[in-house]
Amino acid sequence: MADDVALEVHGVVARYGERTILKGVDLTVKRGEVRVILGGSGCGKSTLLKCCIGLKEPAAGTVRLLGEDMTAMSAADRTSLLINIGVMFQYGALLGSLPIGENIALPLREHTDLPEDVIREVVRLKLALVELSHAEYLLPSELSGGMRKRAALARAMALDPDLLFCDEPSAGLDPLTSAELDELLLRMRDRFGMAIVVVTHELHSIERIADRAVMLSQGHVIADGTLDEVRHTDHPEAKAFFERQAAGEMRGPQSALQALRSGA
Amino acid sequence: MTRPLDYELAADGPGATLRLRGDLRRDVVNELKKVLAQAAPARGSTLTLDLKEVGVVDSAAVATLLNSWRSADAAGGRLTVGPLSESAERALQMFRLGAPPGDAPKPPNVAEAAGDALLGGKEAGIAFLQLAADTTFAVLAVLRRPSKLRWYHLIEQCTDIGSRALGIVGLITFLVGLTIAFQSAYQLQQFGAAIYVANLTGVSMVREMGPLMCAILVAGRSGSSIAAEVATMQVSEEIDGLRVMGLDPIDFLAVPRFVAMTLMVPLLTALADLLGMLGGFLVGVFYLDIAWNAFLNQMLSSMVPWDFISGLIKSVAFGWGIALIGLHYGFRVRGGASEVGRMTTASVVASIFYIIVADCVFSVLFYVVL
Repeated sequence: MADDVALEVHGVVARYGERTILKGVDLTVKRGEVRVILGGSGCGKSTLLKCCIGLKEPAAGTVRLLGEDMTAMSAADRTSLLINIGVMFQYGALLGSLPIGENIALPLREHTDLPEDVIREVVRLKLALVELSHAEYLLPSELSGGMRKRAALARAMALDPDLLFCDEPSAGLDPLTSAELDELLLRMRDRFGMAIVVVTHELHSIERIADRAVMLSQGHVIADGTLDEVRHTDHPEAKAFFERQAAGEMRGPQSALQALRSGA
Repeated sequence: MTRPLDYELAADGPGATLRLRGDLRRDVVNELKKVLAQAAPARGSTLTLDLKEVGVVDSAAVATLLNSWRSADAAGGRLTVGPLSESAERALQMFRLGAPPGDAPKPPNVAEAAGDALLGGKEAGIAFLQLAADTTFAVLAVLRRPSKLRWYHLIEQCTDIGSRALGIVGLITFLVGLTIAFQSAYQLQQFGAAIYVANLTGVSMVREMGPLMCAILVAGRSGSSIAAEVATMQVSEEIDGLRVMGLDPIDFLAVPRFVAMTLMVPLLTALADLLGMLGGFLVGVFYLDIAWNAFLNQMLSSMVPWDFISGLIKSVAFGWGIALIGLHYGFRVRGGASEVGRMTTASVVASIFYIIVADCVFSVLFYVVL
């Protein structure tokens, strides 16, 4: 296995009860690239993310994180592997009872034996990284949405991960804040050489950050490659996605006006 | 996987040079810190770090270097870096200095805490009175125009507060009646007055234990659920949502719960009275061998209707308090999940405290004044 591959997903199938959400998905992520998983709502993006970070067991297939097969691993090994990845959740998942600084210090305290003064300094460095130096002692509920996302990013970065997952980083943010967050991710990639996996459906964001993209539809990969390659795929859904056409709109049930005009 | 830190300290000319080798990662930070402390420059001298041969430098190592730099500065010495490897230079450039290590906000001292508690208590008291007044007026408005009542919500609340509690209230008060009868029989038998177990069980259940036990159970079951539900709605902005849709949270949330409590707590109390007396009756008939009709006659003739009615009046007042306290703590939540839990606990404690105090006041009122 090549050393520059951070994440390799092979033939992953995922089910919720009877419903099969992922029907054999392949995905590789190299170090130092931003890989975007895109697709419409309900296409399986978030499920794929959950499979990658061990929150959901795939029904079939393998997930190799940083070169190790996560699907064939004991719980303890998995925990020590997960320390090397960072996850930024859609709503931040910051602990509401702890100030921002303590939220970032938490993984450092739990997983390392760093002395207290070094932990404090690391927290300040990470906060400076996301430009939240003033927020160390504030509670998550005292932050705005964009600040909370940046704090979540700082916490995901606490242990200098080799691989960072971001679930909908720009969802619910204004275009300016969302653009700032995109720049921040790109800076992380350039400075740390991290692999970054971003799940999103924001077109602007995709165009700015994606080195390579993979597009999902109904549990299948319908396009994989550079952004241009994905954009020019023949698949109608990929085309519709980039041209922002609602594929189903004209075929839907008839409108009230049509019904009234045409008679019962 | 902890590897020893590879280093070499050389004193040359005006200052010393510390040459570090290998990866500077968080697993060598403790040792790095020790080495830096040993080599710490004295007042007026300089320690130069030679990072020419280091590999990966992570954020914990950068933080350690910065800390030593700060403490050297504070001691009047100087810590500086000499030649850098490419990765060391990248790492040191990557991180920008955060805010200078500021002070954590100090926890308030005793006097400040007492003042805060006092002012907070005053504010909470006013908010509670406001809520009680708003709810009362909203209920009166609904009484004038019953069509405005949200029947569906009222029935839902009545089911939740009333019928779902039948089993537990019945069982607990039955056992309480049983216990009172046993405990009093033990004393009364010594005087050959076992028949008076009937008086004691009947009167104490109807006047005191029935309403009290029932109210405490409702406070624990429904008071807490009101507080938790409203608090969760508050935290997830559902209350704001109601307001913006033009639905007054008092009308929408408080009125159905308040009315349901008013109706259900007396009914549960009546059940509690009945089952408590049944417990006493069973002890009298099967343990004390008193004829069932004699026991029943004694029990009923010892009570006047007022005993029963005063218990029901009390229970209505208990129900109002439980509903208002639950709503009050629910609406008062600010912040996140942990606050919801804290406020729910606080509401149950406050409800039970209120029930006991109110019970005391009613006892004085009924015995002394009336």
